[in-house]
Amino acid sequence: MNIPVGKTKKQKNSPSRTMWQPTERPEGETVQRRRPHAMDYSIVFIVIFLVGFGLVMVYSTSSYKGGLYMNDAAYWLKRQAIFAVLGIVGMLFISKTDYHRWRAWKWSLHAYYFGTIVLLLFTIAFATATHGSKRWLGIGPFRFQPSEVAKVTVILILAGFITQNIRQIQHWKGVLKTFFFISPVIAVVGLENLSTSIILLGISAIMIFVSTKEWKIFGAIAGIGLAGIGGLILYQPYRIERFQIWFHPESSDKGLQTMQGLYAIGSGGLFGKGLGQSMQKMGFLPETHNDMIFSIVCEELGLFGALCILALYFTLLWRFMVVALNAEDLYGSMIVIGAIAHIGIQVFINIGVVTNTIPNTGIPLPFISYGGSSLCILLLEMGLVLSVSRYIRIKNQGSMSGRT
Amino acid sequence: MSRIRIFQKRKYWFVFGCLSVLFLILSGRLYYLMIVSSEELSQKALAVEQRERAIKAARGIIYDRNGVVLADNQPVCTISVIYNQVREPEKVIRLLTKTLEMSEEDIRKKVEKVSSREKIKSNVPKETADAIREASLEGIKVDEDYKRYYPFGQLASKVLGFTGADNQGIVGLEARYDSLLRGEDGTILTLTDFRGIEIEGAAEERIEPIQGNSLYLSLDYNMQCFVQQVAEKVRKEKQAKSVSVILLNPQNGEIYSMVHVPEYDLNHPFVLTEDYEQGEGNENEKRNRMWRNPIISDSYEPGSTFKIVTAVAALEEGKVSVSDHFSCPGFKIVEDRRIRCHKTQGHGAETFREGVMNSCNPVFMEIGARVGAKSMLEYYRKLGLYEKTGVDLPGEAGSIMHPLENIGAVELATMSFGQSIQITPLQLLRAVSAAVNGGFAITPHLAVKSRDSVTGEETRYFYDKKEGCVSKATSETMRSLLEAVVSEGTGKNAAVSGWKVGGKTATSEKLPRRSGKYISSFLGFAPADHPTVMGLILIDEPVGVYYGGTVAAPVMAEIFQNILPYLDNL
Repeated sequence: MNIPVGKTKKQKNSPSRTMWQPTERPEGETVQRRRPHAMDYSIVFIVIFLVGFGLVMVYSTSSYKGGLYMNDAAYWLKRQAIFAVLGIVGMLFISKTDYHRWRAWKWSLHAYYFGTIVLLLFTIAFATATHGSKRWLGIGPFRFQPSEVAKVTVILILAGFITQNIRQIQHWKGVLKTFFFISPVIAVVGLENLSTSIILLGISAIMIFVSTKEWKIFGAIAGIGLAGIGGLILYQPYRIERFQIWFHPESSDKGLQTMQGLYAIGSGGLFGKGLGQSMQKMGFLPETHNDMIFSIVCEELGLFGALCILALYFTLLWRFMVVALNAEDLYGSMIVIGAIAHIGIQVFINIGVVTNTIPNTGIPLPFISYGGSSLCILLLEMGLVLSVSRYIRIKNQGSMSGRT
Repeated sequence: MSRIRIFQKRKYWFVFGCLSVLFLILSGRLYYLMIVSSEELSQKALAVEQRERAIKAARGIIYDRNGVVLADNQPVCTISVIYNQVREPEKVIRLLTKTLEMSEEDIRKKVEKVSSREKIKSNVPKETADAIREASLEGIKVDEDYKRYYPFGQLASKVLGFTGADNQGIVGLEARYDSLLRGEDGTILTLTDFRGIEIEGAAEERIEPIQGNSLYLSLDYNMQCFVQQVAEKVRKEKQAKSVSVILLNPQNGEIYSMVHVPEYDLNHPFVLTEDYEQGEGNENEKRNRMWRNPIISDSYEPGSTFKIVTAVAALEEGKVSVSDHFSCPGFKIVEDRRIRCHKTQGHGAETFREGVMNSCNPVFMEIGARVGAKSMLEYYRKLGLYEKTGVDLPGEAGSIMHPLENIGAVELATMSFGQSIQITPLQLLRAVSAAVNGGFAITPHLAVKSRDSVTGEETRYFYDKKEGCVSKATSETMRSLLEAVVSEGTGKNAAVSGWKVGGKTATSEKLPRRSGKYISSFLGFAPADHPTVMGLILIDEPVGVYYGGTVAAPVMAEIFQNILPYLDNL
C-alpha cells in the first residue's frame, strides 16, 4: 500500500467555514511517486465503436432529409464527423494528462463553479433560440450547448469538493451542504433546459450518495425531489400533457411522435429491416438523427441490434466500475462515478423515452445521437475516465481491495 | 490523498445494481415492443408509410334476357403528373395539351402545382393514353381503369341509366343496382415518404380489383329494339312530343321492353340531344328531363283504358252483368252537369258488352254510380292503384286520387271513365294485368338474376305476387270483353290476324282541358284467353288525328304482329 491515508488537517474546522475553500494539495508529494500505466483500452474501443456506430446511424437517419432539405445527404454526417474527430483527439489528449492536473490550481474549483454559472447566464442572455429554448451559443458556423459543458464541470466540481470534505459528508448535514453547494449550477441550467438539469441532479445525487455512509437522508431527498417534480408538473400544465401522452400516446395529437417511434421499433422485429432500410426516417418520425435515433436503430437492426447496443453500454459502464473501484484515490473514483451516472442516466432516459417506458423528455443518446457539443464534451469526459484508468491499482499488486 | 472506503464500494455496487435493473427493464420493454407487439406495430407503421392508389374495378355487366350485353366496360386511362418527378415541364405541358385536347393554361396550372400527384384527366381513351406513354416523359403517370360502355347507345336509355366519372350509377338500373354492379376497387400500395411521394425502387403491393356482379334483365334486346323503332316511327308520323311503350308479361311481371322516345345516348349522357335541347329551363333541368323515365315517374289521366278498372269493380260487386241493357243518348246528366259521350249523337240502346266495345262513357258513369265511391276506391286499392308498383327502378311516382270525402257524383262519374285521377302507366298495366291474368297482382320488374363475378353463383330475384285481387270469373269475363273490343269494337285497329288480342283504347285530353293536347293510348294483351304479353302505348300530343283507336291501336298491332311469333319461339 503505497497510498497514504489522506490526512487533511484543515477539514477539522467547522464545516460551514471550511467546506468551501481552495485545495491545499496536502498529498502533493505522492504525485511524484505515481507511475501511470496503460489506460483501459476496452473503454477506448467501446467508445470509438459507439462513436463510429453513431456516425453510421446519423448518416442512415439523416441522409434522406439531408438530400431533401440540405441538398447534401451527408450534411449532418459531416458536421457530426468533425466533432467526433475533435472529441476523440481531445479525449486522447486528456487521457494522457494526469487528472489531478484539473484541480492542481488553487482556484480550479472556483473557476469551474463560477465559470459554468457565468457561461450559462451568458447563454441565456445571448443565445440563439431553437425549439423555443435558449440553449445554444453560435460560434461561427457551429453552435454549441453550454449546458453540456456543465455536465463535465459538475462532475469535476463535485469530485473535488467531495474529496476535500469527505469527513463532513459522512454526516447528513454535510450531505445537505453539498447539495446546496451544487444546486445553483443545476438551477441555472434548469432555467432553460429542465431535462439536462434533471441529469445533473441525478449525477450529483449519485456522486454524493456513494461518498457518504448516510442512507436515510437520501430517502428524504428523494421524497423532496419527487414532491418538487410533482410541483413543477402541476405548475406547468404542458407537463401534465406529457404524462397524458405517456399513458395514451395513440389518443393524442402530440403523441404522434411517440407512436411513430413505437411503429419504428415494432416494425424492426428480431433482426430489423437491415441497415438503411428504415421507413420511418423518411420524414415520418421527427428528430430521427437526434433524440429518436434509437428507434431507427431498432427498426433497422431489430431487437438483436438494440440489445447489442444496450450490452455495449453495459460493458462500458462495467469497465467504468472496475476503474472506479480500483481508482488510485477518491478524487479519480468520484470522476468515474460521475461518468457512470452521466452515461447510465442518459442511456436509460433516452431509450426509456423512445420505448415510451417513461414520459417524453429530450435527452440525446450518448455517443450515437447527433449533436456536436454533446458528443465532444462526452468524449472529453471519457478522456478523464481514461486518465483515471491509467493510475488504477492492478490486482496482482495486492491493492485491489484497498484494505490496509 | 483520500482513499476509497468499503462502504463507498458497497454503494458503488448498489448504484451499479440499480443501473443494471434499469437496463434490464429497458431490455424487457424492447423485447415486448419488438417481438410481442411487433406485428401490430408493423401493421400500423405500414398504414402510415404506404399510400394507396385505387385501381378502379370494372362494373358488373348488364345482360338482356338472352345474354346480349347491354352495358359493358371499356378500358380507359387516367393521366396524372407527379410534380417532383417531372424533369421537363415544358415538354410535358406541350405533349398533354396536344394529346388531351385541353387548354394549355389548365394543364400548366396542374403540372406546375406542387402536389404529390395531380390528376389531369380521367376516362382517356386507351389509344391516347398509349401515345402519351410512348413519349415516355418522366413524371407522367398513366393508370388504367374502366369506363362504362353501352354497346347500343340509345337503347333502353331510360331504363338502364348511366354512370358518373367514378363509375357510380346515377340513374336507372345503374343507380338501383349500384351496390351489386359496383366492384370492389383494388389498390396499389406503394411506400412513400412523409409527403406521400413514392420511394423509388420500393416494392409495390397490389390488391387486385374485383369486378362487380352481373345483372340479367327480363328486357329483351330484340323486342326493345323493334319497339323503339316503331315508337320512333309513330312519333315522327304524328309529330308527337313523345311515345312510350311498355311490354310486359302479365303473368309474372317481367318487363320485355320499356321504350320512351326520344331516348338519349348513354355513352354521352351529358350531351343534350336535339329533342331535349328545346324547351324551358337551364341545361341542368333539360338534362334531368332527358334522363327522366315518365313511364314510372310521371302520372297521367289514363282515360278510357281505366274503364277496365271500373268494369272490374262493377262486375265484382255484381252491379252489372255482361248482358245488362243501357241506353246512351250521347251524354249523361250528373247532378247539374251534362257529361258527354265521345260519340255526341249517342250509342243508343246497348248491352254492357257493347258499352265496353264502344267505350261508351254514359255506361261507365252509370255502373260507376252503381258501385259507389266507397267500393270503387276499395277496388282501386285492391288493384294496387294506391301503391307504387314496386318496379326495380328509382324514382317511381305514386297516383293522385280524390280522397273519399271529396268524391261527389260528378267526380265519381268522371273517375269511371278515367278522368280526374292520375296514375302512372305502369300502375295501369299492373291493375289491368290483375284484371286479365286470373286475378293476381304482379310486381313489374326488370332484374331477373345476378351472377357473382368471382364464384359464378347465380341468384334469382323473386317478386311479390298478390293473389285474390280479382276473382277468376271476373277476370275471365274481362278477357272476353276486352277481346271483343279489339275484334268488334273501338280497338279493331289492334287486331292481328291469327292471334286473339284483347285491349282497350283511350284518348285522354291533357290538362288544362280544351288546349287541344291529347294522349292517345292503347292497352293490349295477347293471347286474349291466356295473356302472356301485355303492352301499353302512349302517344303524347299527336298532331292531327288523336283518337287512341285510330292512332295508337295500329301501332300495338304492328308490335304484336312481330312480337307474338317471336315470343312463341322464346
